[in-house]
Amino acid sequence: MTHDDGRSLTQALYAAREAGRCCALATIIATKGSTPRKVGARMIVDPDTGLVGTVGGGCGEAEVIEAAYRVIETGRAQRVNVDLTDDLVSWSPAVCGGVMDVFVEPVSPEAS
Amino acid sequence: MTSLHPADAVRLLVEIPEGGGSAVVSTVVGDNRFTGNRIAWVVMEKGEPESRGSLGLPQADEAVMELMRDALENPRASDGLHELAIADHPFEVYIEIRRPVQELVVVGAGHIAQPLAHLGALLGFRVNVIDDRPEFATRERFPSAEKVIRADFSDPFREVPLHARSHVLLVTRGHKYDYACLIIALQMDPPPAYIGMIGSRRRVRATYVQLLEEGIDRVLLDRIHAPVGLDIGAETPEEIAVAVVAELIMVRRGGTGASLRGVERVMERFFKEDK
Repeated sequence: MTHDDGRSLTQALYAAREAGRCCALATIIATKGSTPRKVGARMIVDPDTGLVGTVGGGCGEAEVIEAAYRVIETGRAQRVNVDLTDDLVSWSPAVCGGVMDVFVEPVSPEAS
Repeated sequence: MTSLHPADAVRLLVEIPEGGGSAVVSTVVGDNRFTGNRIAWVVMEKGEPESRGSLGLPQADEAVMELMRDALENPRASDGLHELAIADHPFEVYIEIRRPVQELVVVGAGHIAQPLAHLGALLGFRVNVIDDRPEFATRERFPSAEKVIRADFSDPFREVPLHARSHVLLVTRGHKYDYACLIIALQMDPPPAYIGMIGSRRRVRATYVQLLEEGIDRVLLDRIHAPVGLDIGAETPEEIAVAVVAELIMVRRGGTGASLRGVERVMERFFKEDK
């Protein structure tokens, strides 16, 4: 999480909280091999306003976004293992060659 | 004590280091009934360290607080997963460590200072710019700087005291001003994390001669990065700024400054042709 990232993430989390919306916070908590973003990178999925931050884009991020919607619906945190080790010579966007563990948690408007 | 809210946790991780303090946040990420619970350990520059929030189990709080304190003391500790076991509860926590924000002090507000301030801010430095000319030391010229200060070069750091997290870049309009500020920065205790001075080989050499004549210890001279920046053939102010911040990253992260192509040698290592 870089400094500027942190600022915009904070703003987005407080905006959702003030508006009384539930959103999801995704954090890369472990990586193996080569991944576009490293441990600590964060993304907010807010059903009303969209995404803030990124966990690397592409198919991997799409998986995390899908999980985020499930997390918001169920209110239960989830760990997503994103595999970016597709065949190197395929033209898939997931050719970074790494695996990452993403923690996706619900952010409720109430103080927990 | 309840868990720290995610919004408050993210804010702590940003704001405490900005204020010169350190923050460590631990989140339960293993699958159990405490999943998502958080506790933070906050150490301000001045004042008593304190914890915020709770993992939901006092013994877990105690164990993870110890882990967080150790992480802060170890400069090489990095963010990541840790396994804990409290009675019959296996815990997996994700620990994030944020140390005090690093400062970039750009002395001189000329044409190289502008891209320097900009890139410094982009890299997460808190940027302060100093010049003695009011028409150059303006907010308009440095929108991404924290402070733009008009100060005389005889006492340049009055409003931005240097400390161990300061990275000083001397890029004033004249050699004599760089020298005046350099000699002050060099004698700071504790020393700044980085001192860089722009200049040609000749000018840098003249500076060293002058410093030695003034009786400055040779050991102190080793602290100076001059001429400043990495050798990438930079010519324009923007290119020079990139070369300079590349050196800052290298100092911070401990890289070699060499081209990765030469370091990794992928072709040579994996596609060796039989002769």
